[in-house]
Amino acid sequence: MTAHHDPVGPRPLRAVPAVPDTGYPDWEAVYQDNVSWLYRTLFARVGNRADAEDLTAEVFLAALRPLRLTASVGEVRAYLRATARTVLAAHWRETLGREITSIEDIEQPPDSEEAISTAPQRVAHVLDRLPDRYRRILELRFLRGNSIKESAAELGTTVANAKVLQHRALRLAAQVNDGGGP
Amino acid sequence: MNARGLRRYLDDLLAGRRPKAFEPNDFEAAQIRTAIELRAARPGGDEPRSEFLTDLQRRLAEQMSDEPPDVPPKHSSTRRQVIVGTSAAAAAAVAAVSIDRAVIGHPGEAPALAGQLTPNDGSWQQVAASSQVPDGRMHPFDLGSLTGFVRRVDGKLEAVSGVCTHQGCRLWFDAPEDRLRCPCHSTSFSPTGHVLTHQLPIAPKPLPTLMVREVDGAIEVLAPPRPDEPA
Repeated sequence: MTAHHDPVGPRPLRAVPAVPDTGYPDWEAVYQDNVSWLYRTLFARVGNRADAEDLTAEVFLAALRPLRLTASVGEVRAYLRATARTVLAAHWRETLGREITSIEDIEQPPDSEEAISTAPQRVAHVLDRLPDRYRRILELRFLRGNSIKESAAELGTTVANAKVLQHRALRLAAQVNDGGGP
Repeated sequence: MNARGLRRYLDDLLAGRRPKAFEPNDFEAAQIRTAIELRAARPGGDEPRSEFLTDLQRRLAEQMSDEPPDVPPKHSSTRRQVIVGTSAAAAAAVAAVSIDRAVIGHPGEAPALAGQLTPNDGSWQQVAASSQVPDGRMHPFDLGSLTGFVRRVDGKLEAVSGVCTHQGCRLWFDAPEDRLRCPCHSTSFSPTGHVLTHQLPIAPKPLPTLMVREVDGAIEVLAPPRPDEPA
């Protein structure tokens, strides 16, 4: 998207191109071109494969049939992102009874890295502000995917201590992440 | 406070299992959010599995080849998925209102025009004197039963309805931009009735055209009887 916005206008009004964007030839093309960024967008907001797969499937099952193939690529992507937003909100309502994460309105195209996930930047920001051992346990467990036993060994401590460390580290990280902590 | 629910949620998340539902408080929710972000920040950890991609494509192919409603689905699970899908699509349509939606105008697909309005008890009613409609000028009219715009292009008369096909607000003609505009939702139409811009989840229909003729220095439109003069 080019940065050519009217700063005061509420929503930009988009014109029908004189030569219409040919969009996608069929639903398979819509799927192939968009499934990856859509999955990654959802994964970034649920953090596990099983839920990300279920929600991705739900988005496509809901969105493809009513989709007009006359829509441009950009419009199809905006529509898929909007559908994903609805599906994710419903997921949180049903599982935890509150919205944990959401798919925001953004300026960037839905398939851009900034739109897919800001988790890496946010995590870097949070980890930077944690004491060394807290940061390390979270890196070992969440980023590297090590078991608690492996992590304890790497930190030179017991499994019980590693658990306590992880528990405290996450609490502190959550405070930092929500803007409270140090 | 639900320490056990949180612990189990985090264990599942870390083990790559589907986490189980519970009711977290604010701080627990914040910890889950942070845990999700930590997990999602794992480099390369967010690529979809190829088996999943293939399987979903197969399910979609099944759905897309389904005959509309009446045909019973092959598997009972398909029906549920389709129902879930439909309600989510409806919800998404609402959610998508904040987004500028797909605009039409593709000649091959949607009908370029909504068709001609031909009232059941139509009669030719004068909407202007010929002199009021020189070439290229858009002339609004209101017959009580019908409002619209008439203009002349290369000597030939054309008329379209003056009511927005979305929710019925009355259109006005933006002469500098050469388009009919709806005051309600920023929809705009070309003088021939094609949708030019809109902000709706689904593009509104084009404007119906009206039958128009010129007789003895008068321009007439085939219109229904006036509301105060029932046929």
